[in-house]
Amino acid sequence: MNRAGRLGLALALAGTLSCRAREMARVPAPTPPPAPPPAALGYLDEQTGATPVFGGTVRRRLVADPATLNPILQSAVAEAQVIGLLSRNLLDYDRTLRLVPGLAESWQVSSDGREFLFRLRAEAVWEDGTPVTPTDAVFTIRTAASPEAGAPIFGPLFEGLESVQAAGPRAFKVRFREPYAYREMAFVMPLLPEHLYRGKNLARAPQNRRPLSNGPYTLESWKAQQSLVLVRNERYWGPRPPFDRVTFQVVPENATAYAMLLRGELDETGIDAGTLARTNTDPDFGACCRAIEGYTLDWSYIALNNRSPFFADARVRRAATMLLDRGAIVRGLFRGRARVISGPFAPESPAYDANVPPLPHDPASAARLLGEAGWSDDDGDGLRSKEGRDFAIEILVPSGNEIGRQIVETLAAGLGAGGIRAAVRSLEWNAFLEKLDSGDYEAAALGSSAADANPDPYFLWHSSQWPPAGLNNCFSKNAEVDGLIDAARRELDEGKRLALLHRVHALLNADAPAIFVANTTQKHAFRRTVRGLVTSPLGLFGTWPGPAGWWASPQPASAPTPAAGGGAS
Amino acid sequence: MGLAAAGVRAHTGGGRGSFLTRYVLRRLLLAVPTLLGIVVLVFLLVHLAPGSPVTARGAEGGRRVSARAAEEMKRLYGLDRPLPERFGAWISRVARFDLGESFVDRRPVSTRIKEALPYTALLNGTALLLALALAIPLGVAAGGRPEGPFDRGSGAVLFALYSLPSFWAALLLQTLFAVKLRWLPLYGVASDSYGGAPGLGDRLAHMVLPVTCLTYGTLAFVARLVRSGVAEAREADYVLAARSRGLSRRQALWRHALPNAMLPVITLLGLLLPALLSGSVIVERIFAWPGLGRLYFDSILARDYPVILGLSLLGAVATLLATLAADIVLALADPRVKDGMLQ
Repeated sequence: MNRAGRLGLALALAGTLSCRAREMARVPAPTPPPAPPPAALGYLDEQTGATPVFGGTVRRRLVADPATLNPILQSAVAEAQVIGLLSRNLLDYDRTLRLVPGLAESWQVSSDGREFLFRLRAEAVWEDGTPVTPTDAVFTIRTAASPEAGAPIFGPLFEGLESVQAAGPRAFKVRFREPYAYREMAFVMPLLPEHLYRGKNLARAPQNRRPLSNGPYTLESWKAQQSLVLVRNERYWGPRPPFDRVTFQVVPENATAYAMLLRGELDETGIDAGTLARTNTDPDFGACCRAIEGYTLDWSYIALNNRSPFFADARVRRAATMLLDRGAIVRGLFRGRARVISGPFAPESPAYDANVPPLPHDPASAARLLGEAGWSDDDGDGLRSKEGRDFAIEILVPSGNEIGRQIVETLAAGLGAGGIRAAVRSLEWNAFLEKLDSGDYEAAALGSSAADANPDPYFLWHSSQWPPAGLNNCFSKNAEVDGLIDAARRELDEGKRLALLHRVHALLNADAPAIFVANTTQKHAFRRTVRGLVTSPLGLFGTWPGPAGWWASPQPASAPTPAAGGGAS
Repeated sequence: MGLAAAGVRAHTGGGRGSFLTRYVLRRLLLAVPTLLGIVVLVFLLVHLAPGSPVTARGAEGGRRVSARAAEEMKRLYGLDRPLPERFGAWISRVARFDLGESFVDRRPVSTRIKEALPYTALLNGTALLLALALAIPLGVAAGGRPEGPFDRGSGAVLFALYSLPSFWAALLLQTLFAVKLRWLPLYGVASDSYGGAPGLGDRLAHMVLPVTCLTYGTLAFVARLVRSGVAEAREADYVLAARSRGLSRRQALWRHALPNAMLPVITLLGLLLPALLSGSVIVERIFAWPGLGRLYFDSILARDYPVILGLSLLGAVATLLATLAADIVLALADPRVKDGMLQ
């Protein structure tokens, strides 16, 4: 899932970029880790110091059939799951979210932050024996950057590309028009074999269903809508992956996948909160399986339309936040496995300023704020109004998002107690999005999910990013926030940049363009035999080697693993 | 009901064969504007639904694409052109038996349909045959003695079955037979058998649960239909006459009452047959069955216009053909219709 969630909300690149990387220093270890995950959170590391067992098959689940296995055209989680084992990236994240060498053995950044020089590994080869060359890299980056390719993830990452060219037999140079602090993360990117794609239509190339691997596994068979079988790539140039074979079953239904796990027909599956709760009491589950849970960089929020007559005033938006009992949501809905946030970052991100406390659940203060803003209940009908307009709104939620629906139900109840009538309305995703992008809504449940570490608040909160240009669906506008975000994007010194982002955090907490709700967890269930699991804020799949480092142990994990990520403290 | 539409007016002259030919031809001609109407309607519905293949891309994880990328993708799919132009292009392709290519994986729509069709046809065909095979004897037995203990008992059970939601039944059956008892496989078309083809027994075992889920509803409905037909016919003169000629009760019911009771079932079959092609979204999802229902559902969520249109067209054609076939069979089976034709 390297790439899985990386799209939309955080369009850009990822990771934390070090100031030092920029000084044309040789970098295999360019980036000082962003405050490493506190041990108390219990991220799992079963790989360091362990001896893997080689051989056997791991049976994995896909929620949908991949539409393509073209690494540049991928857009869905299921595609990323498979491609992640077939195609190595130029760079990868390690479990501390540092960028580490992948196909590239080293890289340098020019002092102006605009030019990157990569050196490819000499030993890296495609499964047909041809070496991975700068020609492949140049072709891939040019392809991804060209609008005709329609590359959903990588297209936007290379929008500012100025030039890309080979620089010797193993090196290539990429130059951008502007410096951008989080640019480096764009290179967590797989390559296309130029010798097979040259001159072909990218979208219709037969290789999209028969990809050429340069990674630990190679595709053996693919039955559409049913299963994919991967076997070890004999020509893989890196360390041998423990499993000889990986099968993927396409199982759209969660309940079916859970039953398959219990029957031993799957070794792993993602689970939802309801199933996770069930695993605690299900003796069948405890006997064969374990649940893994860890905090991610995902967070949920309720967008408020800052242009609507109801939420144009920051006092009203703050009041709305104070009427939502987020602590109760964390305790009840997430069973303690979530953390209330005070701003637009996950607590695991260095951009999050732990010194900014969330606004309290405080209906009395909220009532005062609403009164100050001119919303009062003059006729005693329990409903606030202002200049003849009743405070009655609709809160939208995408259908099928059960957690989101329960959050907005809680909000509706909270607002109701504060004299605001709120009705919850569930809409199919596309209809939901159309309302949001046209600004035809008052409040809506949204989430930010990113499989990379880029915290750049530009896409969601900069006033230049109002739809249709961008993703600022709150239509928020704060000149000071805009200035700080612009400065942070240009600031190549990490310490200074984080200071700027911390100020953005504090300002957005006070300005409350949205109700920031909570940081959430990734939930997964495994057969106990599967070992070598590593979790991080990027989840089980966002770091290298991820699933390519799992193995089957004859001695299964014994005690139920304490859910990584611990409880809310 | 097919009769009125069929326009069974007195056609003088010509034998039954030539009447049938003309009848079929006319029905086929009438089907063309109907089909066109359906196609236009579906095309409009699909394109006027909120969202586009571009916005649908992020549905999975609440992810989104930037405005610029969205514009590029729209241009790539030809969605930047006006609706009438798109319709014209689509219709002219369809006239050449080309359904276009899927927006999702850029493969021909016909390929994707061909991949899924056999699975759905197998599942739904088996379910339909099974439902008929069970419903008819059940209906005759119940209708033979209306309000008798068997009629009342089977009636209660059938009504319960008819109202049982299939997703619930599917999960229940999975839990019982696949997880607890482990008698039957949980999902899919066949077990993993790397290297060899799965055996017939394995394939049949995989069909048991989904076929059960698809069967019981139809079974209940058809059985009640047969039952009421038989119950009505058993009082009819021709059945009494048959009894008085010395036929046993059983013979009279099966040979004389049942054929009359089957006439509405034939009409109903015309409506059930297209289901062979449309598939069942819920059952195919739960049992991870790679059929047309799942393809249709996924395509709608993804706003994969060419696939949605291709499947809708297929469904419309199948419905029209099946109703036509049912009317023809009805005409042949019903002596009154036959006489009507000849006079």
